[in-house]
Amino acid sequence: MITQTPETKHFQAIAVSVASTLKRASVHPWATAFVRPETWNGALKSLNPMLSLGEVRARVIQITDETSDTKTFVLRPNVFWQQAKAGQFVRVGVEINGRLTERIYSLSSAPGDKFLSITVKRKKQGHFSNALHDSLKVGDVVSLSHAEGEFILPPLIPQKVLLLSAGSGITPVMSILKELAAQQPHTDVVHLHICKNEEDFIFARSLLKLAEAMPSLLLLPHFTQNSGRFPAKSLKTLLPDIGERSTWLCGPENLMKDVHDLWKAEGYKSPLYSEKFAATLLSPATPASPATVTFAKSCKTFLTQSSAPLLVQAEEAGLSPKHGCRIGICATCQCIKKSGTVENLQTGKVSSAPNELIRICVSVARSNVELHL
Amino acid sequence: MNFSRPIKLPPEQIANFEAEIDAIREEEMAKVGQKDVQYIRKVIRICRASEITGRALLHFGVGPISWFLGVFALATSKILDNMEIGHNVMHGQYDWTGDPALNSQKFEWDIAADGDQWRHSHNVMHHNHTNILGKDRDFGYAILRLTDEQKWKPRHRYQPFVNLMLALNFQYAVGSNDVPFARYKYGKITKQEYKSYLDKFLKKVGMHTLKDYVFFPLLALWSAPRVLLGNMAANLIRNVWTYAIIFCGHFTDGVALYRQEDTVNETRGEWYIRQLSGSSNIEGSRLFHIMSGHLSHQIEHHLFPDMPAHHYPLVAPRIKALCEKYGLRYNTGNLFNQFATVIRRIHKYSKPSKQTSLEAVLS
Repeated sequence: MITQTPETKHFQAIAVSVASTLKRASVHPWATAFVRPETWNGALKSLNPMLSLGEVRARVIQITDETSDTKTFVLRPNVFWQQAKAGQFVRVGVEINGRLTERIYSLSSAPGDKFLSITVKRKKQGHFSNALHDSLKVGDVVSLSHAEGEFILPPLIPQKVLLLSAGSGITPVMSILKELAAQQPHTDVVHLHICKNEEDFIFARSLLKLAEAMPSLLLLPHFTQNSGRFPAKSLKTLLPDIGERSTWLCGPENLMKDVHDLWKAEGYKSPLYSEKFAATLLSPATPASPATVTFAKSCKTFLTQSSAPLLVQAEEAGLSPKHGCRIGICATCQCIKKSGTVENLQTGKVSSAPNELIRICVSVARSNVELHL
Repeated sequence: MNFSRPIKLPPEQIANFEAEIDAIREEEMAKVGQKDVQYIRKVIRICRASEITGRALLHFGVGPISWFLGVFALATSKILDNMEIGHNVMHGQYDWTGDPALNSQKFEWDIAADGDQWRHSHNVMHHNHTNILGKDRDFGYAILRLTDEQKWKPRHRYQPFVNLMLALNFQYAVGSNDVPFARYKYGKITKQEYKSYLDKFLKKVGMHTLKDYVFFPLLALWSAPRVLLGNMAANLIRNVWTYAIIFCGHFTDGVALYRQEDTVNETRGEWYIRQLSGSSNIEGSRLFHIMSGHLSHQIEHHLFPDMPAHHYPLVAPRIKALCEKYGLRYNTGNLFNQFATVIRRIHKYSKPSKQTSLEAVLS
């Protein structure tokens, strides 16, 4: 439960400290000589999949259809879950065909909600989103990370706010909007949402309900099926006071770029927060030639086949390096590059010095590479 | 009773052989998924249940029947833990799952052999340099003479007895296999380096001894002797069993032996052929294969060390057919016959070979 009474807070503090003591004891060399730490985890898990020594897990308690291709999964986390701020994301882990797989999702719930929720749009090629849509059932347990991310409200809520979202980019925005409604219901908020048509409008009903309770909220939907692509420049005429509006922006890369360009061109002073949903990779400066990649710790070697990031190439070669978001955010896949040259496809930065930290999900090999993996 | 000479095929045949083996691997690895995780987790559950049952029977049981049952259950758990679970997980056969409990680099097992040291001596040395004399430290475990290529020394006369001791204490041989005794003796490494290896091995031995021969017996209070003897018996059964299975993997009659100069510039295809001709299988039931950690499919294991082991019986018929096609020997037999050839070999090479003694006379 997210809403915390003093009693539940107290109970949580006790549970967390007991669990962390047990965890420390279980990994002590004397203890591991008798029982391996994984055995305790396994035993707890088989008693109840929600039990752990500190790992956050959550049970799916409700699944609702938002649109024809989008579902909201309502989650009840275990005692180790700590508060999230509106707009933050979590790493969600499920086992797909025997493989523990993780992706990041923004929470669509607000801190005041009783339970957590994530809202997932089914992507055509999305291995993970399809698995959630097709196989995750009420009663199943997923693993979660703690909430992360800087796409949040400042401590002092601004007078005027613009929320700008497109497609499934509405999920963190919805969380922020709910939080605004709870904290400062009289804030002047404009929410402009871009999607294909009315059927494709995620949270349309909840938003209408919210607008009723919050008279200062102005909803501006833009349907691309009727009105075409949303021109960022039209924001100027649509909202003459846009330069004074603190703006939260989440959507596809081209929209985000257009809005950022507008901010730069017009020299707006109001803060612009943005959250991306997919890695935008530069096309590598030079076409890739096959390179040998060596995983030093596990003695594995493979030859790169394309200009895809190292993580993808390693997976295609049958390896499974640790990874999280796959879009260069979470640093789960970060490792030491012992030798060789790689290019970061996000920043275009080339790393050729030995022993530099790289993120393999957004890096391509520019020479033969040795990684400490 | 002889090792065969290194197998030579024409280069284009080797390339074809390599492609065919790769194709079999790719096809089988594409099938790996949910079922494999379910399988290994089930084996882990059985192993734990069997350990708890065994220890409980030894601690709380009365009379000899419960003692024997306890020893049987505890030995079963140790065998499963070391072979079907430990050996295979530490090969990285389940790394693709992303489950920390099945991670090859973190796994540690119930045996007096340190996981990190074993990963080096086994995964790196034994699997890459299989049956290369002087490189593969599993070859005779540095104390047995198994071929004429090894110089006879007077101590080899006691080899049959040494072999028996090796079988009874096999876990310590496996554990000390990565400790560079010889390299230290001949001054190739510093004392400090040598000590770091030795200490790591001794630490694991100490912990294992503490657990099985001090902690659990003391926990049993007045049943301490019963528990101590039970734990000893279980470790002994595991030692002899693993010894027998492993010795049948590379030292049987007709297995090929290589010298370092035979493997210079070895291609992947040649590596496959060396793995195949340097290994031998044992025939048996499904339960037998599980209890041997599928090392009874040593040939398939050496070709595909990171394939989940219970796939080996599935690819075995195709490997066998491939051997027939290329005129290679697929060395297999039942446990008794295979083991008999190993024992005969150990006895034969405990005596100096005739040529050598003749040479000695002539010189």
